[in-house]
Amino acid sequence: MNPESHLPARLLIGLAIAIGTDTALQLVWKTGVADLPDTTSIVEIASAVAHAPIFVVVIGLMAIQLVNWLKVLDHADLSFAKPFTSLSYVTVCLLSVFYLDERIAPMQLVGIAVVVSGVWCVASTPRTTIATTAEKTPEGSLR
Amino acid sequence: MSATAIGVLLVVVSTMVEGFGQVFLKKSALESMRRNLWIGLGVMVLTVEIVLYSGALRFLAVSTAFPLTSLSFVMVTVLSRWLLGEVITPKRWIGVGLILIGTSLIAAHA
Repeated sequence: MNPESHLPARLLIGLAIAIGTDTALQLVWKTGVADLPDTTSIVEIASAVAHAPIFVVVIGLMAIQLVNWLKVLDHADLSFAKPFTSLSYVTVCLLSVFYLDERIAPMQLVGIAVVVSGVWCVASTPRTTIATTAEKTPEGSLR
Repeated sequence: MSATAIGVLLVVVSTMVEGFGQVFLKKSALESMRRNLWIGLGVMVLTVEIVLYSGALRFLAVSTAFPLTSLSFVMVTVLSRWLLGEVITPKRWIGVGLILIGTSLIAAHA
């Protein structure tokens, strides 16, 4: 069996946390942006973002996301790990159905299937093609 | 330039900016001597991306802006190949293409 085809548990957990925090972030951010003042000035928007309490939650989630993401990138290519976060589009869609009683369009179900098949394609490629410092032994060879 | 065009431009630029931010974060895993520098640069660039995307939402409906954000998967893949030297196999490209189509279908019908 190709060892690259088997994802280490800590990488799987890291990717799951990345999807979870991204999902929470999208839902909270969506709420926060809806409350911003109706202006086209970037400066005014930035100022409103800095003073809105909900963006403290956004920053907290982003901090968790950043720490976790750095751990993930220690053990996988960026082009391997990043596509997994697309599953948050699926989780947001499903959460909207189960918790917000929103209806799901047939085309969205097709979209979910297409995203999952895309992630499956990426997941079946080698997780690393360049050596990270975390993947190297002190002698410089790959673990 | 119309408001819609400005919004679309802001989203596209924000996905490019996110791509560079992600590359900087990955650099932190590759260069332990300059790990904090790359993380700092990455966070700074991703902060710019947040401001750009929030700005874009003032010009565009979320249902229009959200599908466009899936371009970030393409940007990240291209920049990973170009700036990090990662090997992008045809199967990985197919996966990214499917994700781009799938996320667009989900968001466009939301």
